[in-house]
Amino acid sequence: MQQQEVYKVKHPVRFVTASSLFDGHDASINIMRRILQASGAEIIHLGHNRSVEEVVNAAIQEDVQGIAISSYQGGHVEYFKYMVDLLNEKGAGHIRVYGGGGGVILPREIKELHDHGVARIFSPEDGRQHGLQGMINQMLEECDHPTPLELESDAAKAQQGDYQAIARLISHVENEDVTSDKLQDLLKITREDVPVLGITGTGGAGKSSLTDELVRRFINEVPDKKLAILSVDPTKKKTGGALLGDRIRMNAIFNERVYMRSLATRSSKTELSQAILDAIRVVKAADFDFIIVETSGIGQGDAEITEITDLSMYVMTAEFGAPTQLEKIDMIDFADFIVINKFEQKGSEDAFNQVRKQYSRSRMLFHEDHDTFPVFGTIASQFTTQVRTHYLLQF
Amino acid sequence: MQTVHGYKEDAKKQSDIARKLYQLKGTEEEIGQVEELIQLIEKYEKELEADNKEKLDKFDELKETYTKDQLSYKVRDKEFTVDLNTESLSGIKVPKVALPKYRDWGDRLYWMLMENVPGAFPFTAGVFPFKRKGEDPTRQFAGEGTPERTNRRFHYLSKNEPAKRLSTAFDSVTLYGEDPDERPDIYGKVGESGVSICTLDDMKKLYDGFDLVDPMTSVSMTINGPAPIILAMYFNTAIDQQLKKFKDENGREPSQEEYEQIKVETISVVRGTVQADILKEDQGQNTCIFSTEFALRMMGDIQEYFINNEVRNYYSVSISGYHIAEAGANPISQLAFTLANGFTYVEYYLSRGMDINKFAPNLSFFFSNGLDPEYTVIGRVARRIWSVAMRDKYGANERSQKLKYHIQTSGRSLHAQEVDFNDIRTTLQALIAIQDNTNSLHTNAYDEAITTPTEESVRRAMAIQMIINKEFGLTKNENSLQGSFILEELTDLVEEAVLQEFERINDRGGVLGAMERQYQRGKIQEESLYYEGKKHSGDLPIVGVNTYVNPNPPSEDEINSMEVARASKEEKQQQIKNLHDFQDRNADKSEEALNRLKEVAASNGNVFEELMETVKVASLGQITNALYEVGGQYRRNM
Repeated sequence: MQQQEVYKVKHPVRFVTASSLFDGHDASINIMRRILQASGAEIIHLGHNRSVEEVVNAAIQEDVQGIAISSYQGGHVEYFKYMVDLLNEKGAGHIRVYGGGGGVILPREIKELHDHGVARIFSPEDGRQHGLQGMINQMLEECDHPTPLELESDAAKAQQGDYQAIARLISHVENEDVTSDKLQDLLKITREDVPVLGITGTGGAGKSSLTDELVRRFINEVPDKKLAILSVDPTKKKTGGALLGDRIRMNAIFNERVYMRSLATRSSKTELSQAILDAIRVVKAADFDFIIVETSGIGQGDAEITEITDLSMYVMTAEFGAPTQLEKIDMIDFADFIVINKFEQKGSEDAFNQVRKQYSRSRMLFHEDHDTFPVFGTIASQFTTQVRTHYLLQF
Repeated sequence: MQTVHGYKEDAKKQSDIARKLYQLKGTEEEIGQVEELIQLIEKYEKELEADNKEKLDKFDELKETYTKDQLSYKVRDKEFTVDLNTESLSGIKVPKVALPKYRDWGDRLYWMLMENVPGAFPFTAGVFPFKRKGEDPTRQFAGEGTPERTNRRFHYLSKNEPAKRLSTAFDSVTLYGEDPDERPDIYGKVGESGVSICTLDDMKKLYDGFDLVDPMTSVSMTINGPAPIILAMYFNTAIDQQLKKFKDENGREPSQEEYEQIKVETISVVRGTVQADILKEDQGQNTCIFSTEFALRMMGDIQEYFINNEVRNYYSVSISGYHIAEAGANPISQLAFTLANGFTYVEYYLSRGMDINKFAPNLSFFFSNGLDPEYTVIGRVARRIWSVAMRDKYGANERSQKLKYHIQTSGRSLHAQEVDFNDIRTTLQALIAIQDNTNSLHTNAYDEAITTPTEESVRRAMAIQMIINKEFGLTKNENSLQGSFILEELTDLVEEAVLQEFERINDRGGVLGAMERQYQRGKIQEESLYYEGKKHSGDLPIVGVNTYVNPNPPSEDEINSMEVARASKEEKQQQIKNLHDFQDRNADKSEEALNRLKEVAASNGNVFEELMETVKVASLGQITNALYEVGGQYRRNM
């Protein structure tokens, strides 16, 4: 097999990837999403067993150009047609739908789906003829354009809380060097006091699971309030692609009171996106009651989140090495809350005490009762643990 | 792992001692009693353990037993008599079990410690002395459309078999614990690639006309996430059959006391398996619906319920490597991950205070057989590791040491090109499974690479098993994998590789720790890619796919006109209507029942015990959604 040329994207191209509802076969979509990402696309991967509505909502909130779905479990004709219909119904007919399901999808069904508006269903024969990269190249090329935007009307709609308009404006501030002034003219922020919580921490500490548990409690315990999540993941320097993987862990966001947007760090060279301040401005103008900003995994010396949020939470685990390592962590000095997640792990109690000691040292609180410090142990992976919510409820 | 290594080392040492003794005794015979010789013999006799000495003493007797014409033996207090040989058309008596011709005591002892006859520790050659008479390990597999249609298929498939061994495939809506619905993404999957079951009514229709308490009836259900709910529906179906019998015989409803009596008696005899293996779902197959922790707890609840109600003939879990293999793992990872999962369940049940000898017999295993060389010995290795660990690490009794497993031929080894060739692959896989004394076998239909099997393709798949069992001459012997140099070597190699994999899992904090690091999932994906790469490059020859390719491939029209099984609109509509009827009928009771279920779950009661009641009035989707509130939904991983 000769190495195939990789299509070079000219615009930021974003895809939502998933496997179909009640379908656990994720081997092929995993391969496809990896190649898409390696070819420079930003991938919002939702994992297996996703309903049409979940996929369509994610695609709209994330303002993507394309959706890629694998379907090996039957019912593909209904699934893909419904997806196209729902996209059209929600005014997002421009989002192109790609799919594949090996030999399960018959040639006549492929034709039926193409006729209905599915951009492309790839057959095993396509795979043999074009190779994986060939299929990916086709998808990228067809999606290599800016997403639609009508600045004035989108700004008006966003302020009414329209998720598609919000998504478009965030894309706009991500893609263009808009000055905040211009945005300010367009977007009137009525409430400056909307709390913005920053969640940051080491990679793999369980930030997303913890965020999900927070969201779930917010929805259950704070009626009628709306929540926006801006989640940042790193752009790969080598390829320009990014795996925006936070949505896959989130079960609670599938709710009309929740908006979520994933951003890649792109050229920021930090744990945040350069567009993050403007993105916060957009969701503030859209009148959300609570905003969560989740950063990508950070190192000991990173604490940028504290500069752009009202409150910040540092998520870590017991695995930080020797206690002296704690002295190097900037976030222990700055964070409003410190969470030691995966508290079921060995050594968590010791870690808890050491972190509290470091907390008292770094803030000169030598005589305070350590129990009053905002340092918490959580097990976000366990449903029954009570992640303490009273701080949240103060908002 | 140390246990198994320790056992092997002991076996080597002890057989070396036996060899020395054999040599010394031989020397003694030649040169007569010399003081030094007598001392050496005494020394080695002391070192030889008593039960090993007994084994050696009885070897000739054992051999003698198997050369007779008949043998009587006991299984669970029941006496069985079997013919020990079969006369071929040429008049040769083919022995059912052939024993080695070794004379050296070292070889004899080593063989007995590492191999032994079928039915004897370490059960390398099989957990029972002989195959069951009158019951081939064949299972009739069905699942399509409505319960009525699947029921008809079950009757058609099993009409000539005295043993009704049914295996049920559910549609994906059921597998993910939801109810049928008009919403297109759900609607499209109702009754596809499996039967749609969402209420107790459905379950009753599914097995209508089969006597579920008959000892010759055995029902297996392939379901995992919602397994506790589906199992509760199944048990209730069996109980209702007996209640109906009572009413017919007595002309009245049973009293509460009589009802309880019927219930207890029914579930203590009902025979079958529910897959319910949640660990492999997270590692490979992805039909997880509840948080792993809650799902594990419900498995424990089922097992606890089994112990309290003396459910003896039903397997509470089928610890499955099949899906791990289908997701791309090689046979060694399949075996290692699966056995490790098995030991994890053992540890978890022990931690809940259950007695090993009360739950171990309820565990069963399920492997895939592909074409890789390791598959020839997969059962041998699994049985040996399991029995040694159960005996020497957990002190389990003989019944608990026996690893029983089901084989399904590999679906992944079937290809969409030249589908006719697939039966040849399946035949080879079935042959090694039968030779390895699998306890249960399913042969895939050749067209499964492209569609749900049709009646015609299923019939051919069944014929594969029948030809091996009834026509193939070597099958008259039941230990044909013993005594071959290469198979003994393969057994050792695979066993060692599996033990090393245990160590890697152990280094990552055990099965659950490794899962959190995505270790198993990552390894499966890696191995899958390795296979795909080899297949793509042609390094791994696959006839009709990357070599010997058909010069006249079927046209698009031919593919389009191929017979594919799809559920009809009427069937889907009927399922939705039946669901609504059930929900309406129970509208006044379901809410209360669901609240009670949530309470039991939240207060750490036995969820399964409560489900036995809940399923009478609530549908599958109503129940799973109630449980999500208290137990948490599954959180996906990358």
